[in-house]
Amino acid sequence: MPASYEQEITLEGDLHARPAGALAVAAGRFASAVSVTAGSHTADAKSVLGVMGLGATSGQHLTVKAAGPDAREAVAALIDILGHVTKVGG
Amino acid sequence: MSRATVGIVLVSHSAELAQGAAHLAGQVSGGTVTIIAAGGTDEGDLGTSAAKVSRGLSQADSGAGVVVLPDLGSAVLTVRAVLEDHGDATSVLLADAPFVEGAVAATVAAASGGDVKAVAAAAEEARHARKL
Repeated sequence: MPASYEQEITLEGDLHARPAGALAVAAGRFASAVSVTAGSHTADAKSVLGVMGLGATSGQHLTVKAAGPDAREAVAALIDILGHVTKVGG
Repeated sequence: MSRATVGIVLVSHSAELAQGAAHLAGQVSGGTVTIIAAGGTDEGDLGTSAAKVSRGLSQADSGAGVVVLPDLGSAVLTVRAVLEDHGDATSVLLADAPFVEGAVAATVAAASGGDVKAVAAAAEEARHARKL
């Protein structure tokens, strides 16, 4: 059984293209499977188009989940990126 | 990440379209990937240029290989002609993908350290990504 881990965060800005890209680049560096859930939609965090397709907006609660050997580190890295999403567009 | 990243060549009939897609993909992926825009003819008209594609392949390859994205079907003819002369078919992959989405997905995959097959696969998966 691979380790799995998850954490929630509330977005302080909309998840535009650049933060979605940063999220997917970071997720792709981990061996674990990583997903981001916004409402009823879940995307593979390693897929930039999937993350953008969530259409996640300011005030929304997101859940980052990871399963695999570096699950805890993956969740921490992605939560950190999502914590830096601000109201400034991009 | 000490090893080389996969390079991207965007082949469009329009120089502006190739440059714009390269700019966008570079911004979204954080600017760590070499993306070469090979758009328009040698005369600057709409069309494709074997010379530009060939130069693009050389400029984009830092040792990890290159993924090429054509905008429309007829750009494929130009790319294939260049690849026949290029020789190393395993290090250059032509991706069958939507141009903008494929460019962004491929560049992000390259930025996260994906190999040439993973980068081409990311581009091709863009076909199934929904915007709405």
